[in-house]
Amino acid sequence: MTELALDIRGVSKRYAEHVAVRDLTLSVPRGAVYGLLGPNGAGKTTTIRMILNIIAPDRGSITLLGRPNTDGSIQDRIGYLPEERGLYKKMAVRDVLRFLAELKGVDRRTADMRIAEWLERLSLRTAEKDWGKSKVEELSRGMQQKVQFIGTLVHDPELVILDEPFSGLDPINAQALKDTVVDLKRRGKTVIFSTHLMDNAERLCDAVCIIARGDKVLDGSVAGVKAENAGRTVALALEGSASPAVMGVLQDKALVERVDDQSRYFEVELAANADAQVLLRRILEAGARIARFERVQPSLHQIFLQRVGATGVEEGMSGHG
Amino acid sequence: MGKLFAVIKREYLERVRSPWFLIVTLFGPLFFATIMVLPGYLSLRGLRDAGVSQFTVLDASGSGLGDRLADRISARPNTDSLPPAMAEMANAMAATPRPVVEVLTVDALAAREAALITEVQEKRLVGFLVIDSATVDKGAARYAGRNAGSVGETERIEQALRSALLSMRIEAAGISASTAESLTRLRISLSADRITDKGKGGSGLASAFLGGGVAMLLYFSIVFYGQAILRGVLEEKTTRVAEVIVSSVSPDTLLAGKVLGVGAVGLTQQLVWLSSGVFFWTQRGALFKMLGMGAPPPMAFPTVSPTVLVALVLFFLLGYTLYASLFAAVGAMVGSQEEANQASQPVIMLLVFSIIFLQPVLLNPTGRLAQIVSWIPFSAPIIMPMRMTATEIGVGELAAVLLGVLAMCVACVWVAARIYRIGLLMYGKRPGMGELMRWIRQS
Repeated sequence: MTELALDIRGVSKRYAEHVAVRDLTLSVPRGAVYGLLGPNGAGKTTTIRMILNIIAPDRGSITLLGRPNTDGSIQDRIGYLPEERGLYKKMAVRDVLRFLAELKGVDRRTADMRIAEWLERLSLRTAEKDWGKSKVEELSRGMQQKVQFIGTLVHDPELVILDEPFSGLDPINAQALKDTVVDLKRRGKTVIFSTHLMDNAERLCDAVCIIARGDKVLDGSVAGVKAENAGRTVALALEGSASPAVMGVLQDKALVERVDDQSRYFEVELAANADAQVLLRRILEAGARIARFERVQPSLHQIFLQRVGATGVEEGMSGHG
Repeated sequence: MGKLFAVIKREYLERVRSPWFLIVTLFGPLFFATIMVLPGYLSLRGLRDAGVSQFTVLDASGSGLGDRLADRISARPNTDSLPPAMAEMANAMAATPRPVVEVLTVDALAAREAALITEVQEKRLVGFLVIDSATVDKGAARYAGRNAGSVGETERIEQALRSALLSMRIEAAGISASTAESLTRLRISLSADRITDKGKGGSGLASAFLGGGVAMLLYFSIVFYGQAILRGVLEEKTTRVAEVIVSSVSPDTLLAGKVLGVGAVGLTQQLVWLSSGVFFWTQRGALFKMLGMGAPPPMAFPTVSPTVLVALVLFFLLGYTLYASLFAAVGAMVGSQEEANQASQPVIMLLVFSIIFLQPVLLNPTGRLAQIVSWIPFSAPIIMPMRMTATEIGVGELAAVLLGVLAMCVACVWVAARIYRIGLLMYGKRPGMGELMRWIRQS
């Protein structure tokens, strides 16, 4: 049994007017929670659709659970939640879920059992009301999202791929999703999800890959990525607000590459060859009273901004991922 | 295979379970029968109820023409132009009372006419007919009344008048009254039997009915179920469920499952209709009795050879698949029902093209036009079955046309599958012709 859940090698996809993914190589070990990060339009959805063999890459190879992704049998071992979600509105919830399970080769008895479990677990079946009998269109949006999760997981897949799973979720469902991801990991499943919400990624993922404009910017374990980008960031907190003199120091390009200004709290990225001690002395000299001055590991958000850059985000806003 | 079956099962069960399926299946034949029989029934009822007979005849001819006319008006209606079944019905319904005849002199005519006009205005009378010597000499008569605009009624009076005059003149020529009567009351009934290579093949009229019926059934099935496919594809696309599905099965399997599932629904429905049709046909004697219409007209069911039957089924399957795939491609191309209505126009046009030629072909199923239209792959699935049942087609010609339809069917499915594969996950602007060509090349 191979150790990799997903192995992408040199994959490219080009549409008529632009390159969606360029020479992408990445691998995801089994049992990992993996984040595919990038701004809108970075090529995340295209990558995911290629992984699932919904669209074919122009070049390169994709291996899933040790087999080529074009192997039809592999589809049954994967659960997929697309970014654009929907269900047959006129069908009863249980019938939809049974249909989705049958498409994954689950026999009817097993499917019914698992559906019952899931409906109970996500409180879609209570003593008062069994939503499984209702038509999809009778459910609230939040409930429909739950049904969609069940549809993704009802065949107990080894690999779960979620495209922007947090978009459009209410806080309760977002929490339920996070719990589910943690639970899947505990049971040895592999989870790959794309997001542009760095906080979620940082908390949930073992490893990440950041892509922008179709190119891979970096990848690796979250700890590794943070360590690689560490040492250049200083967390600075002031007593009272920053005086113009302090702001002047923070805008000195010789010392500071970029600063995330939150009024009294700053995340400062040092300029190349700048010394943190010099920065500390200059701020004190400017008359500031310091509550905190600490060399820290940057957040994924910080790294993302640093590596992708504001332009990447802006340009990426048009088109779809 | 299991997945294809899952898709077929969903398409089939979801549709068969819907209340609409039940309604259409149960009441569809009733509806068709109604729209076929109702107009004839209503016009006959109209003839009786409008009270054509409740007019007064002012006879100033001094020849007894008025009485002769009144006899004829109250006699059985002229049903020569009607099919036998409807003639029976018409006769049963049209027992009309005799109009009142007033015999008077030419001098009294003007005053009486004025009085009757008032009666018509006061709605005590529908109208009145004036006959005088000019009627006897030249056949000229005047009718005045509220229903003077009704072509059917004035024509009926004219016919009765013609017949009355004729009998009078024949009598004047020295033939006895009873002979004259029987001469003018001559009724024609032409029974037309179809001759095929195997001998007489049942009533020609019945063949035409069957042929037209089959063509209409095929047309409605293709339109109805083709549109169902379009709506199904569009639903999957707009609700975005398509992406989940194609991560489990290939788009080709999904398309095939959809076409087969919906096709199975159509076949189920037609099986129900067909078996109920056979039932009613075999039990028609009892049915006619129940409705109080007397014995059913003798109409032999046209013989349908096994070859024709097999070809009929093949034409339906191929025609349905051809159009279903086109409708599916349209569904995958568009993003809303409004766009779908517009984009499906070319496909609808192909169907309408077939139905336009239905009547001309039915009237002359052996003509050159009928041949050409039944050879074109897009109209063949509708026109050929009709020609086939109305007249005899050689096995060679049948096979050639079927092959042509098959080839076109394969081509359409091929193109449609390609459009479907790409279009299913494309949102936004509807693709132009160039874009479509790229989709077809790309996949």
